[in-house]
Formats: sequence, structure tokens, C-alpha cells
Amino acid sequence: MSTQTNEERAREQLIDLAAEFYDQFAGGQIPEMTLPTRTKSNIEYDKDSGVWVYGDRTSSRSANSVRGARKLLKAVYTIEFLAQQLDEDRSSTLRELYYLSESWDNTEAHFSDQDESNQLIEDLEIVSGVTREDFHMRPEESGATLMGPLQIREQTRRGEREIHCQEDVGEGGYQIPNNPDTIEFLDNDIDFVLCVETGGMRDRLIENGFDEQYNCLVVHLKGQPARATRRIIKRLHDELDLPVTVFCDGDPWSYRIYGSVAYGSIKSAHLSEYLATPEAEYIGIQPQDIVDYDLPTDPLADSDINALESELTDPRYQTDYWEEQIELQLDIGKKAEQQALAARGLDFVTETYLPERLDSMDVI
Amino acid sequence: MTSFQAELGADEGIAEELAKGQREISIAEFFEKNKHMLGFDSGARGLVTAVKEAVDNALDATEEAGFRPDIYVEIAEVGDYYRLIIEDNGPGITKEQLPKVFGKLLYGSRFHAREQSRGQQGIGISAAVLYSQLTSGKPAKITSRTQEAEQAEYFELIIDTDTNEPEIRASESTTWDRTHGTRIELEMEANMRARQQLHDYIKHTAVVNPHARIELREPGLDEPLKFERGTDQLPAETSEIRPHPHGVELGTLLKMLAATESYSISGFLQEEFTRVGKKTASKVLDAFRDRHYGREVSWPTPSLDVDIEAAVTEAVSNKGADATASFASEVESVLASRERTARFELREIVDNVAESVAADTGRTFGSTVREKAVDAAWGELTAFEPDAEDGRDHLTPAIYTLVDEATSTRKDDATVQALAERIARRLGNREGAAFRLTHTELEGLVDDAADATVEYDDVTVGDTARENIIEALWKVSRTVPDDPPKVREIADSRDTASELLEAMRETNILAPPTDCLSPITAELVEAGLKKEYDADFYAAATRDADVHGGDPFIVEAGIAYGGELTSEGKVDLLRFANRVPLVYQQGACAITDVVKGIGWRNYRLDQPGGSGIPNGPAVIMVHVASTNVPFTSESKDALANIPAIEDEIELAIREAARELKSYLNKQRSLQKRQQKQDVLSRILPEMADKVAEVTGRERPNIEGAMGRIMNNLCIDREVDDGTVTLSVENYSDRSETPEITEIVSVEPQDLNGDATVVDLDGEWYVQWSPAVSAGEESEISYSVDGEADFEITVDGIEDEKLTLNA
Repeated sequence: MSTQTNEERAREQLIDLAAEFYDQFAGGQIPEMTLPTRTKSNIEYDKDSGVWVYGDRTSSRSANSVRGARKLLKAVYTIEFLAQQLDEDRSSTLRELYYLSESWDNTEAHFSDQDESNQLIEDLEIVSGVTREDFHMRPEESGATLMGPLQIREQTRRGEREIHCQEDVGEGGYQIPNNPDTIEFLDNDIDFVLCVETGGMRDRLIENGFDEQYNCLVVHLKGQPARATRRIIKRLHDELDLPVTVFCDGDPWSYRIYGSVAYGSIKSAHLSEYLATPEAEYIGIQPQDIVDYDLPTDPLADSDINALESELTDPRYQTDYWEEQIELQLDIGKKAEQQALAARGLDFVTETYLPERLDSMDVI
Repeated sequence: MTSFQAELGADEGIAEELAKGQREISIAEFFEKNKHMLGFDSGARGLVTAVKEAVDNALDATEEAGFRPDIYVEIAEVGDYYRLIIEDNGPGITKEQLPKVFGKLLYGSRFHAREQSRGQQGIGISAAVLYSQLTSGKPAKITSRTQEAEQAEYFELIIDTDTNEPEIRASESTTWDRTHGTRIELEMEANMRARQQLHDYIKHTAVVNPHARIELREPGLDEPLKFERGTDQLPAETSEIRPHPHGVELGTLLKMLAATESYSISGFLQEEFTRVGKKTASKVLDAFRDRHYGREVSWPTPSLDVDIEAAVTEAVSNKGADATASFASEVESVLASRERTARFELREIVDNVAESVAADTGRTFGSTVREKAVDAAWGELTAFEPDAEDGRDHLTPAIYTLVDEATSTRKDDATVQALAERIARRLGNREGAAFRLTHTELEGLVDDAADATVEYDDVTVGDTARENIIEALWKVSRTVPDDPPKVREIADSRDTASELLEAMRETNILAPPTDCLSPITAELVEAGLKKEYDADFYAAATRDADVHGGDPFIVEAGIAYGGELTSEGKVDLLRFANRVPLVYQQGACAITDVVKGIGWRNYRLDQPGGSGIPNGPAVIMVHVASTNVPFTSESKDALANIPAIEDEIELAIREAARELKSYLNKQRSLQKRQQKQDVLSRILPEMADKVAEVTGRERPNIEGAMGRIMNNLCIDREVDDGTVTLSVENYSDRSETPEITEIVSVEPQDLNGDATVVDLDGEWYVQWSPAVSAGEESEISYSVDGEADFEITVDGIEDEKLTLNA
């Protein structure tokens, strides 16, 4: 499947969507667009792919109301813009789309904020079945990086580049491009993938030479991972058959980071098959670790408790492991950061904690 | 030291001295000094009041004679004075009456009548005459012509303030262009500072008297202000009613008692009052007897320590053993079968038994014997010998049962017993054996007994317990059959009359009839508002009659909203009493208080702070009609705060306001709908253009989608090769019947469908009103030769709900 056909297909899908509105008008019907409801209560586990996808509940954007009509008007303007962009083989960022709408002659079609334009792009992805990368829409660079024994070839706008992600890069590592499908994996010496939430911990691992010592590819998630980061993790797992592990803080927000790597996020559940790596395993910090290693902690804030309780009702976390851990955390009422491990010395994480955890998870 | 007394005594005749300065004050003199009481406190106000009094009189006179009022008011400057002329087309006033009507205070036909009318006391117009005479020194000039008269009579008159009698200065026969009516001309010191109030008064009068034509000329107007009739229908004639028993006071009652020709109270009540028939009269009489004579406490027949038969036998002598025995045993058996008996009932029983025994045995029981038998049986029934050894006491157990039932279960037995004993003792010690007490006496007795119990037994007997005991005793007491005193006796005794009055007030009596009232009716209230206010919405409500103090009253309310009414500031409040506008003292009026107290936000009017007079483009009018409107003062500017009337005012206003609310709600929803339609009819065509552009096709027709979105009725025309098709699609959720008229420039042929064609001078009217149910479509078609113009109009549906594409 070449990029050319991808673009053609994307363009076709968009025009079809506009044609659907046209037919609705012509048939005296109220134009509308039906989408799966994007809430926690409407995602379900897909046994075949092992990821979480949207359920059967739908909501519609209909021209029946002033709000709905405005949304659809914006959708049509966006469709026109995307089709044109694909025609000209250009690309733009989500933020650019938001500002671009200001140039449209119709003030009714202007986006009121970027959330609105982002959401509209997601809507179009879902309805057309085309990813936004194929629309040539990209997010701002998330700045997530790779570091480890991996040789790749990247198709850049300025030609092909062959890069070794340990030898050809500086201490910062290799920056994941917006569309990781332009990368080809050439060679590797990786035993497992280690995804790290925070920059501080990632730097500690590199400084201590963990990637070299254990032949591990360190992926810096930079908080909630961008789509490109999740996509490359998925490809590393699928194409190179590598075990994937996730190393985060010990709080409810970090469990959600793991969740979006492993199960897919609620907002992009339509892309779960393409982004989620259900085999990814959670290293820590686990609530159990807080107890076992007697880590320095902060008390849970009210928002933390709410988040934990909300996770207990989230179908993605309804496993024995997560229920046990979350209930334990609610019980002890404490949370800990990755850096809390430094309380046992700077090398504790690389010499004791990670080897012990990875060993117990049968990764090394 | 010289005493003051002595000095007084010395100068004998100081009282006589003072008496020289004491003399009668004529009513006219009194009002001369108290002009403000009648609304003549200033020159500005005096003018308005004079107009008001004259116009009120004119309206009363014309209506009463069955004429549609045609009233002319003119104010002109004459040197330092103002001349006021009021003309009406009433029946005129006879030569004999005229001077008194205008020249004597407190002379009128209204004061003694219980009937709705504008004027009541007969003060108004003569006060205006008096005011004019006091300020300008000029006499009032009056012209009047009765219907039959060939000529009009002209008078100049002044009021002699010493005697309150008219004094005629000039009188002659004259000609007048009106065939009947009255004209009064007054000159007075005045000014036009109250022009607004004057205009308001005239305008508001026109609102509540849509059957009247009124014309006003005054120096500030370039053209006369004319208020034409809104209806030819005169207000319903009212009839006078007799006073209602709930509405009289003691003085009035005494006067009526003295004047009546009735002999008995029952006759008096039925004759002199409204709503009193035989039944009601007897109810009043019972209540009166209870007050005048008191009731007799009835007692149960004791089962132990009693031998009525023996007592009666002993009391009867010389009637033979058989007759005596059967008499005595019969009395006992009747008593034994009764639950309770009062003394007068026992008397009746003895009388009956005596009659029947006499019939059986031939022995006559005379009144002395019967009296003795009653005493003997009563002595057994109510035996009470507390001081004797082993004395009997039948009273205490009977009272005990009552007290026990009447008080709460928490009262301990000893307290109940003590109370019962004390009450019984007090009853037993009363003079006479009949136990006859009025309610007041009973209260005193029970209170006394209770107080004693509290004092000696150190327990509490609360107010509720006392009341319950009193009521229980009152319930077992019987109204006595004594004949009530005759009218003469009552008329002579203030106390007895007061008892009668209380009895009248206490008895439930039907509300007075309402044919003495003439409400404007909701329909004409609306018509009146429509006539004088150019608004978008009108509502009116007339309440059923209610009574206050024996005087029936009816409240009506009307609301006008929107249109040309000014939306700045507070709404206009129009107050009326017996069809007379109230112009002054809005703040002191009960109507204003009620309007302020209503939460107008609930009715979709702006009301800062949630109370007070609301804001917005509205007029609220309230009319109170009564045989006796309770004003706060004689100048009749403000209604007094009478709760019964206030309640009705509130209900009337709320009734009209509810209509306003649903109108405004509908307006708002149509407005929202319009806004939605405005926005969508901007967005959707653009969206359609865009999809056409993106897909590279023709612009789609979006009317159907629009109609569906707005739940509208869509009317479309298609012209195809000389065939015209009109279709109606109903996208709303209820069925619609639009009235479609289309004017075609050539003759339509082959009309297909349920429509009619009318030829009107070379234009053809196609009329079609299909009933289209929700979601359905209806169609007609016809053919035209060559070019044709169409002009379509659609009625029977709000513009906001119509998508017209034809």
C-alpha cells in the first residue's frame, strides 16, 4: 500500500462524506453525521484484536439545531480544505487548521478553539475510516524520543536517512517523527522495549548506561504519549516481536498512560487496532512497590482518589491485577514518583529495582 | 387661698357664657373648612375633582335613563379663573329637584340604596358648586331639559353655607339644542398643573365605559380629545337590594327595628333583609334564643339510686291508684328510654303522658299536678344532695363522663373527678332547677371551676381543655322553645338588639344577590382596553361576586401588552371603583398593594427585586364594583385594605396574567424559532453551496430539509410545461389547515384537487385550505395557457412556521 493510494483513498472518503450530505439535502432530509459515542461507558473489549474499541452507542451531529448545523458547516469547510491539501500534497498541523479557519470567508465556519478543530478531525477520521496522518494532518511535535540499539531508515521530505538510534544520535536520542509509518526498521539488537514516563528517569537510565547494559530500547513517552509514540511502540512489538514494558510514576494518571499504550485511549478508540499494544506490561511504580520498597510518598489528593475510583469503573482496568493494585493504593492513601527510587541512591533504579521487576516479569 | 371652684361659682354663668359661642355648624360650613376631604385641596386638583364629580353624575344619570352617554367637557380660561362646562344627554332634572341636586350637600338618590353606582353620598357635585362659589364668587349656571319639556330651564344658584340650602339667583326658560340633558357651568380659581391627571381621568373613564362617547376641550389642546364608543351595549341595569344580615351595624338594626311594620322577629328578618327566608329566619331565631334565654343542660337518666315512678306517684294525689300508677310508670319508662333530657323536654313528656293517660282512664291531670310531677321527676333525675349524709349526686357522674371525653387522656382521673365535682356543684347551686345558661355564663362557670381546681389541686387545666369542656357541655345543652321577644321589646332594648345582631352574624346566610352589581364584563374590559391602547395582546377576567360586610362586590382585571405601549419604565396601573377611575393616591390603594405583591417574573414581566410594580410595555387595569366601595377617605381616591377584596383582586389579576404568560411564552418560543430559522437559513445554504462545490454538483434544494428542521409547513410550487403543482408538506407534529389563496393572471384550467376558483375581473382566485396531518403531504394542480403570474397568500398559520417556496 503506497502513500499515493493512501492519499487518494483519503480524498475519496472525504468527498464521499460531502456527497452524503448532498444527498441528504437533495432528499429533503436533515443532514447529519452519526458517530460512536466517545465516552468510557461506550468502549468495549474486542476479543479478536485484544484492544478496546467503541461500542454500539452512537450520537449524531445533526443540522437540526443551530449548534449541530454550525458543526456540520465547519465539517464541510474542513473537508474542502483537507481535500485540497491532499491534492497539493501538502500537510499542516492541527493548530494550523485552527488558525486557517480564520481565513475562511464564512465567519460561521470559524473554529472557536483548538479543541473544536481537533475534535472535528477525530470525527472525520471515525466517519471516513481514514487516519489523520493520511489527511496529512499532524499534531505539534510531541518531542518523544528513542534510544537504543536500533537501525532505521526514515523517509523524510528531504530524502532517505539511515540512522542508528544509539550511535548516530546525541544524548537526546532519536526523535520520533509525526508519521512513524515513514520509518523502516533495518536492524536491531534489542531485547526489550522500556517506555519511560518522565524525562528525569529517562536521563537517569541513559546516564547509567541501562540501554547498553541490557540491550534495551528506551522510549521516552513525555507524559501521555502522542499517537506517533504509541504507533511506533505498536510497530516495534508487532514487527520486531519485542516485549514492551512501561515504567511510570505510581499514581492514577500514570496508570492512564500505561492504559493508553496498552489498551488504547477513549478518544481514539477507533484507532486502537492501529495504536494499542495489548501485550505491553506495567513495571511500576506499583502501589505494591510503595509498600515493598518503603518509598517516600505524597498523600493522595481528592482528585487522585476520584481518578482511582473512576478507573475502578473503567472497563479497561477491570482486571484482577489492576483492581488489586488500585484498591491497595486507595487503602494506603499514598502515591510515589519514579524519582522516589533515588531515596535509595542514584543507581538503585538501574541496579536493583528494574532488574528485580524485569526478572519477576520474565522479561530478562 | 381662694379656691378656683369658688371663683367659678362666683362668676355665675360661665357655662352660659360658653354656651353663647356654641352653635350648630352647617354641613356646608364644615366642608368649606375641610375642602381636602372632598378632593379640593388645591386649584389643580380642584379642577380635576370638579370634572370627575360632574362626569360621574352625568354617566350615572344617562345610564339610569337608558341612554348611551354622550358627554362634553370644556375647560376655558376666563381672566384669572377657569370656566368648566359639562354637558350630558341624560334625562334632565325637574325644575323642583334641580336646585337641591346642585345646591345642597348630602342630597341624593344614592345614599340609601344598596346598588352599584358611581356617586354615593350626594356630596360631589354640590361640593364642586360650593368650591366654585368660594373661589370665584360666581354662581353655578345650570341648564337642564327633561325629555318631554318644550324648553330648557336655566338657573343660577349658590349654596347658602349657613343653612345648606340652595339660593336661586336667576331662573328662566331658555332654548337648548340638546333634546334632553343637563349642562353645568362653574367658574373657579384653578390651574392646569394637573393636566396629565385630567387626561388620564377622561381616558380611563373611556376605557371602563366603552358605551360612552366623551369629548374634552381644554386650553392646552389644539384639537378636542374625542373618545368614541366601543360598544352600543349599555351596562346591565342594576336593581336595589335589601341589606344583608351580615352587613348591618347595631345602630342601623335599631333604626330598622323601630321603623318596621313587622310584629315578630321572624317576619322582620324575612321582610327587611335579603337572603332570609323562613328557614334562615328560624336558624337566626335559635341562635338568638341561645343568647337571650340561654340553653338548658340536658341530663342522662341515672340507673342507680333513682326511682322516678315512686317520686311521681308521691307527687300525684287524688287521681286514683290506677291512673296514678300508669301515669308514673309511663313517665319513668319514657325517661329511661331517652339518652338525655332537658327540663323543658321533661315538661313536654309529662304533658304528653298526662294527655294519653287522661284519654285511657278519663282522669284529667291539671297543670298543678303536672307541675308537681315534673318537679318530682326532675328531682330524681338530677338529684344533688352533696351536703346530706349519704346524699345522692347524679350530676357529678354525668359531668364526669363529659369532662373525661373532652379532655386529653393524659389528665389523671383525680383531676377529672375534681373538675366534674366542681362543675356539678356550681351547676347544682344555681338558682332555678332548669340549668339554663347562656354560652357566656357557661364559660364563666367552667372557668371558675377550672381555676379552683388549679388552685386547690395543684394541677393544670389549659385553655384547650377548658374550651373542649365548654363545648361538650354546650353540645348537650338544648335550645329552649320559649317565644322570642317581639320586635317592639327588642327595639327598646339595646342589649337584646345586640344579641339579635350577634345571632344574625353567626348564622350562615347565603351571599347577597349580585344583580345589584354591574360589572363591565371581561369582554368589554378587553374592548375598552383595545379602544384606547394600541397593544399586541389583551386579556381580561371577571371574578364571581363575593361579599364583604354584607355588601357584594365583583373584581375585574384586564391587561394589555406590547404594541405601541412604551416599554420604558413601569407598567401603567389603572384603578377603577364602580367604573370611576381613581387618579390620585395610587400608593395608598389596596389595588396597588396587591399588584406590588404579585411575583410578576412568574408571568414573564420584568420586576426588579421580585416585588413592586413591574416594568414593561403593559397596562394593568383593575375594577372593583360594589354596593359600598370601601374607600380610604371621602375624596374616593384609594381603596382601603380589606382582605376579602384584596384576595379577589389578586385572583382576578392572576387570571388575566396567566393568559399574558402563555402569550409571552408563545411569543418567546416563536422568537426563538425565528432566531433559529434566521441562523439556519444563513448556515444551511452555505453548507449546501460548499457540498455542491466539493462534490462538483449543482446546488441542492434545501427547502425540504429546512422545513423539516423547523417543523414547518412547506408550500412549494412547481411549474412544468404549463402545469402548476402546489404542494403542502407538513413537517410539524400536529395537523395544520393553511388557508391558501393564490391570484393567477390567467384562467386556471383542469383544476385537480380540493380547491375552488373564483373569477374576479380578469384575475382568478384559487382558494384551497387542505387539512394536512403531521408528516403528510397534500397537492393540487391546474394548467395555465402560456405565461402566468402567481401571487400567493397563506393564512391560518404563524409566519414563523411557514416555509413558502411558491
